[in-house]
Amino acid sequence: MNALSQALAHKRVLVSVGSGGVGKTTISATLALRAAVDGRSSLVCTIDPAKRLANALGLNALGNVEAEVPASAVEPLGITPRARLHAMMLDMKATWDELILRHAPADKREKILSNRFYQSLSSALAGSQEYVALEKLWELRNQRDYELIVLDTPPTAHALDFLEAPNRVLDFLDNEAARWLLTPALAAGKVGLSLFNLGGSYMAKTISKFTGTETLQELANFMLSIAPMNESFRERARGVRELLKAEQTGFVLVTSPGRERLDEVMHFHRLLQQNRMEVVAVVVNRVHPLPGPALWEEARGLLPTRRTKVEETLNEMTLLAEQDARGIAELQAACGSTPLIQVPRFELDVHEIGALWRTGRFLMGEELIPTPPPLLTSGGPE
Amino acid sequence: MAALLDKRLWIVSGKGGVGKSTIAAALALRSARAGRRTLVCEVNAQERISRMLGHEPVGPQITPLEENLWAVDVRPQEAMREYALMVLRFETLYKTVFENKVVRYFLRFIPSLQELVLLGKILFHAQEKRPDGKPLWDTIVMDAPATGHAITFLRVPQVLLQTVPPGPMSREALKMKDLLEDPAVTAAVLVSLPEELPVNETLELHTALRDQVRVRTHAAVLNATFPERFSEDDLEALVDQPELLQVARAHHARAAQTVLAQVKLERNLNVPVHRVPRIFTPNFDRSAIEQVMRHLESLVTGKEGP
Repeated sequence: MNALSQALAHKRVLVSVGSGGVGKTTISATLALRAAVDGRSSLVCTIDPAKRLANALGLNALGNVEAEVPASAVEPLGITPRARLHAMMLDMKATWDELILRHAPADKREKILSNRFYQSLSSALAGSQEYVALEKLWELRNQRDYELIVLDTPPTAHALDFLEAPNRVLDFLDNEAARWLLTPALAAGKVGLSLFNLGGSYMAKTISKFTGTETLQELANFMLSIAPMNESFRERARGVRELLKAEQTGFVLVTSPGRERLDEVMHFHRLLQQNRMEVVAVVVNRVHPLPGPALWEEARGLLPTRRTKVEETLNEMTLLAEQDARGIAELQAACGSTPLIQVPRFELDVHEIGALWRTGRFLMGEELIPTPPPLLTSGGPE
Repeated sequence: MAALLDKRLWIVSGKGGVGKSTIAAALALRSARAGRRTLVCEVNAQERISRMLGHEPVGPQITPLEENLWAVDVRPQEAMREYALMVLRFETLYKTVFENKVVRYFLRFIPSLQELVLLGKILFHAQEKRPDGKPLWDTIVMDAPATGHAITFLRVPQVLLQTVPPGPMSREALKMKDLLEDPAVTAAVLVSLPEELPVNETLELHTALRDQVRVRTHAAVLNATFPERFSEDDLEALVDQPELLQVARAHHARAAQTVLAQVKLERNLNVPVHRVPRIFTPNFDRSAIEQVMRHLESLVTGKEGP
């Protein structure tokens, strides 16, 4: 049993993280599929509007509600899953609105939903995607009885954003500094006072030079209307943080073997460990396998022109495999005891159930990629 | 074919992992070679461009790399300081107010302020003038964030104009929006890969740039392409050697995908699509960037390559 198959058998929540374009969504869907096949009812919650993924799972589209993956979708595999598999796609704006509708006092809802700050917060503010993904995870974990939830996270420009963003949004919603600056007005509940009545402080005046007086005023209005929700936001945030650190939660770091991705994943790995969050495995996706000696041997028997073409291709494949192997060795050295799991680059994009299944075989360690021997990878012109 | 050299602000974007920074580095190098004062800007990144070009990381200060080429990593804290100093004009005022811990904390909650100062700094450089009134920089290459983030990032001026009432922030945002929307100044170069998802994302990015940011796509770059190598005869001849056949087929399939991707991009974007072949070097270094650059000749100069 490798680290991921163990995690699939024992964890309640798996969060797959990594930068954009590394195949997180595919890996997340595959993990949920394998868990369901092995008998744990699972949900994959994805962020990308991945229509292809929906189709692969036999769904017309993924929406903001959980949909059961029909048995017919898995049929081509010749396997009957022992538990049910669900999938959903997170709609950020809808989730924010639900949050407000559920937790804001009735007389404040409209005011919040139509506030300009709220609108940019819920749709455009960087970090709010990450925040709402975790909110949703917390809700699903507490209100549904899936044995495993796999959360596919938004692609972060920086690994750090994923862990920081929720705090950033939370700070925005419930912040001591703003209260300190704006206290008199907030306490009085008087909206519409000029900024100078607000705090009249030197700080507030200077900041308003920077942001404009009315911006501060509008922000104050927003905070005033959202204030009654602060306690529940705080409580939920505590819940989310606990959930991420819980023993039953694991992170799966997904990366591609390219040099430019590796620095980022190493950094993220360190950060998760510093935050006492468990990294179950680092998945290196789309690794180029090394063509074996038998292929070279076979190529020698071809007609000259054909042999040249084949050997040129084998040469290129070898170069790519060596590049990848060098990166992976570096990554392994940086990630200490965290298991590294390699998934090969398939000839075409992974977007049908058979390909998801094949991906799963590598994730579970049932199949391994042939990699270059260490001699090849350590040398080479630098 | 229109030359990219006719524009001053080159925005390079695309799906994550398609080689944006490589293309940005090659474009910047080519611009500098054309004798233009060129500034390449990374946005709060890991400074890959200066390293790709064989130089030390440059940090948040504009740093000369080589003849006609400067680089900077635009970072939030430094950009914020510059912006605040521009508005407040007094260093001491900045220090007492903006270096106050509570205030710093507070500034993080002004929606999109961080993005505003990052984008603002780049666009500020795009407006800088020499004593004779000519632009200080002939070319600014912006290695923009990947697709989804790029739209959020470039839309910051618009979002701010909708969110904040008139004031210093909105004045700044309006200036930025005008510059981005000016087709005489700004051009986007979209980088893609010959695979279905990156191609689709490129089309979405193009539409979003056009409709939501009003930035014009100048050209697309199809990166890491594979040339046709195996003919149908070759494939047939390998039929009894299944493993070799698989190797040939995989290559053949990738070459076919290159053609498909190019056609799809050309039809939907209505701009030239420039191919850059997959470069096979053990380390992706300066010489690789120079190779990439040679394939971008017609994109930059508007003339067909030699």
